[in-house]
Amino acid sequence: MLVLTRKSNESLKLGDDITITVVEIKGGSVRLGIEAPATMRIFRKELYDKIRKENLLSANVMEDEFAKINKSLGPK
Amino acid sequence: MIKFETSRFGSLEVEPHRVIDFPEGLIGLPELKKFILIDHRDTPLKWLQSLDDPDMAFIVGSPSLLVAEYSLQLEDGVRKYLQLNKEEDLVPLVIMRVQGEDIIANFQGPILINAEKMRGVQLVVDSKPRASQKAG
Repeated sequence: MLVLTRKSNESLKLGDDITITVVEIKGGSVRLGIEAPATMRIFRKELYDKIRKENLLSANVMEDEFAKINKSLGPK
Repeated sequence: MIKFETSRFGSLEVEPHRVIDFPEGLIGLPELKKFILIDHRDTPLKWLQSLDDPDMAFIVGSPSLLVAEYSLQLEDGVRKYLQLNKEEDLVPLVIMRVQGEDIIANFQGPILINAEKMRGVQLVVDSKPRASQKAG
């Protein structure tokens, strides 16, 4: 892992299109500002990991589970 | 016609316009870039079947099956990503699974499909509000 030291209001460039700025350092938290193309998808990693895990759990469902879910939806 | 194998439905052939393109795959599954939606008999649920991996199929349904009112605040970036022109082309889906006696629906990672362009994305819904919009 590349480790760099930055002070408040200093930035990093990731390639040509992405700039990450240290906006504020307070207590144990760092506020970051991210400038990136609008279609670039940016996630908090813990949320990304949670959804990744959920996806893996959901990918191997079988037909009987389908029936169970359908039943739980009740009459339509 | 596009022909591919699935572990649940055997060998399938579909017309190319039925294939949904997920340019970045699903979250944590970037290799799954092409899917089709398969109706399941007379149920309101569908299978989201991967064309890239025969084993990968998700049970999906409209969020309205589970909640009375569903709305998503879409950022402009997502609209651009999906190449969305008309709001009515937007199809939201949630992935569902069973855990014991419970049905788990992944509202934090909903799937959005632009039915016109057949382009899809899985969102990560961040409950914490963003300080400001992304630039770009």
